[in-house]
Amino acid sequence: MILKINKKLVEVDLKGHETLLEVLRDQLGMTGTKTSCTESECGACTVIINQKAVLSCITLANSLEGDEITTIEGVSEGENLHPVQQSFLDHGAVQCGFCIPGMIMSSKALLDQNHRPTQEDIEYALDGNLCRCTGYLKIFDAIRAAGQKMEEQENKLNSVHLTQTNLINH
Amino acid sequence: MITRINKNYVNPVGKSVPRIDGKGIVTGQAKYAFDVSFPNMLVGKMLRSPHPHARILSIDTSKAEVLPGVKAIITAKDTYLIKFGSNEYFFPHTVDQQALESDKVRYIGDEIGAVAAVDEETAEEALKLIDVQYEILPAVFDMVEAMKPGAPQIHEAMNNIAVILPVNFGNVDRALKESDYVREDIFYSQAAAHAALEPHVCVGQFETFSNKITLWSSSQAPFKCREALAKCLKMDLNDVRVIKLAVGGGFGGKLEMLPMDFAVCLLSRKCGGLPVKITYSREEEFSFSRRKHAMLYKLKSGIKKDGTLMAISGEVIADGGAYCSYGPTVIAAAIMRTFMVYKIKNFRINGYRVYTNNPISGAIRGFGGVQSGFSVESHIDLLAQGIGMDPIEFRLKNITEPNMVTINKMYLSSNGLKECIEKAATASNWKEKRGKQKHLCRGIGIGVAADVMGSKMYKSHESAGSIVKVEEDGSVYLFTGAADTGQGSNTALSQIAAHELGVSYSRIRCKSGDTEITPFDTGSFASRVTFISGNATKRAATDAKKQILSVVAEEHKLNIDDLDIIAEQVVNKTNNSIIMTFDKALDLCYSFNYGRQIIGRGSYNPKTTPVDFRTAEGNVSGSYGFEAQIAEVEVNKETGQVKVLKMWDAHDIGKAINPQSVEGQIEGSIAMGIGYTFYEDLKFRNGRVVNPNFANYRLPKSIGAIPIETIMIETNDPEGPFGAKGMGEASLLPTSAAIANAIEDAIGVRMKELPITPDKILKAIKEKEELSKQGYEKSNA
Repeated sequence: MILKINKKLVEVDLKGHETLLEVLRDQLGMTGTKTSCTESECGACTVIINQKAVLSCITLANSLEGDEITTIEGVSEGENLHPVQQSFLDHGAVQCGFCIPGMIMSSKALLDQNHRPTQEDIEYALDGNLCRCTGYLKIFDAIRAAGQKMEEQENKLNSVHLTQTNLINH
Repeated sequence: MITRINKNYVNPVGKSVPRIDGKGIVTGQAKYAFDVSFPNMLVGKMLRSPHPHARILSIDTSKAEVLPGVKAIITAKDTYLIKFGSNEYFFPHTVDQQALESDKVRYIGDEIGAVAAVDEETAEEALKLIDVQYEILPAVFDMVEAMKPGAPQIHEAMNNIAVILPVNFGNVDRALKESDYVREDIFYSQAAAHAALEPHVCVGQFETFSNKITLWSSSQAPFKCREALAKCLKMDLNDVRVIKLAVGGGFGGKLEMLPMDFAVCLLSRKCGGLPVKITYSREEEFSFSRRKHAMLYKLKSGIKKDGTLMAISGEVIADGGAYCSYGPTVIAAAIMRTFMVYKIKNFRINGYRVYTNNPISGAIRGFGGVQSGFSVESHIDLLAQGIGMDPIEFRLKNITEPNMVTINKMYLSSNGLKECIEKAATASNWKEKRGKQKHLCRGIGIGVAADVMGSKMYKSHESAGSIVKVEEDGSVYLFTGAADTGQGSNTALSQIAAHELGVSYSRIRCKSGDTEITPFDTGSFASRVTFISGNATKRAATDAKKQILSVVAEEHKLNIDDLDIIAEQVVNKTNNSIIMTFDKALDLCYSFNYGRQIIGRGSYNPKTTPVDFRTAEGNVSGSYGFEAQIAEVEVNKETGQVKVLKMWDAHDIGKAINPQSVEGQIEGSIAMGIGYTFYEDLKFRNGRVVNPNFANYRLPKSIGAIPIETIMIETNDPEGPFGAKGMGEASLLPTSAAIANAIEDAIGVRMKELPITPDKILKAIKEKEELSKQGYEKSNA
């Protein structure tokens, strides 16, 4: 079966019962995605499937044909960190880091839809992601700032695009 | 001067630099023991007792051994039956656990064997095929019952009391008589879990011919692991390599060995050197690792009308579970904390660490301080209330001071407790709020605490070692034995190394916690790393700097004492002139003429005196940290729900090496304290954990995270590196009491049992209403 992971097509050998988490970690050696419970309670295994944050520990891999799967390994653009990743670093939102891949995926899924989430939006988006180290406060800060950054980047991109369109029109 | 020399240079100490390992973490590239994998690696599983207390009559592994895919099975026969424990030095008789038990099992989950197989299913199938015959023994699960004569005997200790700690100073009876107000209270703190997100996990590989072991372990104390492995497997220390990678949280739970660590090594040896990995499931993590001691705290104290604390007395009983672990020192630390906080001349508390057939209690963040913090700080509020004194005023009257020696001979050098209390009170508007928001069911409460910066718990010394290696291109490698388990010590130590060396933080790389490569360090516990490993690192950097300067001095025929490295420049201090850049100095060191390798080394062992546990006398730490915490709550009297509106935390941290990390530790500690206060509760039925998962053992979540205001008090400790003290634990200690004290301020009921659940609040409200009704009836009669 072919899965589309981080914009690449990957062939995997499935018996049928494997979860996406097992396929990622055990078959593909993509250990960036963590798990702390394998029973959908901790959120450390969160990945993004078709723009939605999904728990890979309770998602059967063979149900994902044709879907766009993004893992923590596919978040940065080349050697540049994604604004969410950079913001987690800048705001000291990282301690032991075991929950962080899942946190970043949940945060990214939120911010991709909404650059200006309210406090309530953030708390609900992270409700499924446990963190034992930070008390969440610095993670909230990181998400807010990352949203701002994403908006700025998009505005910049749009204005570049506009300028180019203007140039063509002239 | 720095700006004149190099205006682009930023002092590494005191700056919130990003974590040295941060990029690996946010990209998923950081490797944890959880991620370690090798070709041909086998899956290990532990064989556990299903009984809380039983004699092992026989173990027959023959059926399991012939199951295809099974590569090795071990039982106690494959071990040397050597016991391991965590208080070898001070309480040798409490070293009571074997790698695999041979005669008896003492709790549900007690390890008696292990299997290595090609996959998890096969390993689990093999466990089912092992036939163990037991003679079931009567069991005891309640700590008070366990102490009674005639209770089932779990070890050889009389009345199941592993350790009695009598702490006795002054004349308590006389002081109580001379008191104007005396009161007794009993507090109960529940059993709770560390719940680090990375479970216990280890990979062991035995090199059969060279007789060497490598263990990749999610450990807070790799050198302690090494010591226990070498002892129990009869090997030389240097034939055992313990490698700590990124660690997904510890909180005291990964401070000591578990039987699984021995098992992977023994299994690997038995199957000819294939690597074996054991990963705990979340259920195993909750059921078979370690936990916070459930503790009963009975206190009887007396005060004068003017608020002078006359005497504190009482009894502490702790449910230790099946083995001693760090229990004895946990009890000692719980009791002795009071001396760091309050000036007290008359003190008598007997501590009992009791065996039961429950899972094993051990070290956890706060090391007994969570239980004593809740009990003592609640009790202190009640004492103040008894004489109608403001709890802050009462505390300010009785707290310890800088440069004082406590009754048990602790030397408190820097001590910002007074400032902590005052700053927290001002920030929280204490005076305007205390006792004045009852109409809103709102209240405000305080708790204070102190903590050590290290403690000689299992060895005669507790030194740390560091090496600072400077390469010819000017890049620096710091090797430290300290174990960063997520708190950010690699970052803080790198800042210390850079600062001392006079270079930028970006030059530093850091390798920590690999027993074959890095110098010795006792590990991450007792808030010791910044202070002790920080001092070792500073010394190593000083040494490296001297080596560089000696070359410059030789070349330029200058006196080395006149030279220094400031802001990446070698300068002559006598006339503030720049001699050369740091890079040029390194070129010189590694030049044709000199060829001097720069390898700085440093070790540090704090100037402490070991505690005499018969008297509790001794200066356990090289410095002490202090803090005050204030909680504001709102209680819903209909539902019993408590909402914490805000917490204020003023912390004497000596000097913030990395302010952002300091805040992170405080916020994380308080979050943990919120969990322990309101809902975290590890429950047992007949010795079995009944809520071993995140669905039924609730951790603090993003929804309802409490706003926290952090106030850093920098007292510049004379002994700390750049004045810094440790601070990873203290903020957890007063949280429950501050909240309980705030609840009483809000609605006038006193919660003496953790966790404080809505049903307990409602019950307390009802009891109070009935009491006042009776009083009303009486006064009307």
